[in-house]
Amino acid sequence: MTLSLGHYLVLGAALFLIGLFGALTRRNVIGILMSIELMFNAANINLAAFNHFLHPGGVAGMTVALFVITVAAAEVVVGLALVLAIYRNSKTVYVEDFHLLKG
Amino acid sequence: MIEAIAFYSMAAVTLAGAVLVVSLRNTVHSALALGLSLAGVAGLFACLGADFLFAGQLLIYVGGIAILIVFVVMLLGRASDLHLRQVNAQWAAALLVCAITGAGLWRLGALYRHASSQVPAAATTRAIGLLMLGDFAVPFEAISLVLLAALLGAVFFSRKDIS
Repeated sequence: MTLSLGHYLVLGAALFLIGLFGALTRRNVIGILMSIELMFNAANINLAAFNHFLHPGGVAGMTVALFVITVAAAEVVVGLALVLAIYRNSKTVYVEDFHLLKG
Repeated sequence: MIEAIAFYSMAAVTLAGAVLVVSLRNTVHSALALGLSLAGVAGLFACLGADFLFAGQLLIYVGGIAILIVFVVMLLGRASDLHLRQVNAQWAAALLVCAITGAGLWRLGALYRHASSQVPAAATTRAIGLLMLGDFAVPFEAISLVLLAALLGAVFFSRKDIS
């Protein structure tokens, strides 16, 4: 029994869809951020898998995955700081209560 | 055979953690399940022979981001949150969106389904370092600016007297 690219693609797609479902349905804004992290990870699995199976010996896919990890870290840091600032003003973490910009 | 066992166990850890992240009601448990899922992804990177990515995933995601999320979850929220519904009323529409996206991904993935490789794994750290200071030098410098901006943004938004 040998592993092919399809195994990793199915796994990446499943992880992405779980993350997408969570991002669309969670009410808690931190839950949405965590779901987005799952989607980033699905993309990283696909990058590493394509690198391994289609360009054996190359490292470009892994390098791009490292950049994705870095951008995800920056995104989650700023996102959590924003969540803290919003919570300090409106005392809620539920996205349907975030209507600061609504007139 | 050993590769298949490693792949399927890591895939089970990853998917079980992901399902727990989106389904658990308690956000602290959700954040801990996120750490589990990210560790599973690190194991998958190891299965793919990406040693540096495996270490980076463990250091940055499991050791950094998951812990940061646990901290923020514990700073926010109240005990009454445990009795509230954590999903909105749009789960049917979300399921439809996921089904359509999944069908599209299935069609795309079918193009590459049977690619397999028998190349023995080799160390990648040196090659990644050379690539980052060679072809990827401009994105490498840009990402440091992004990190600096994220640092400043985090400090700015989490100040006490934001006006």
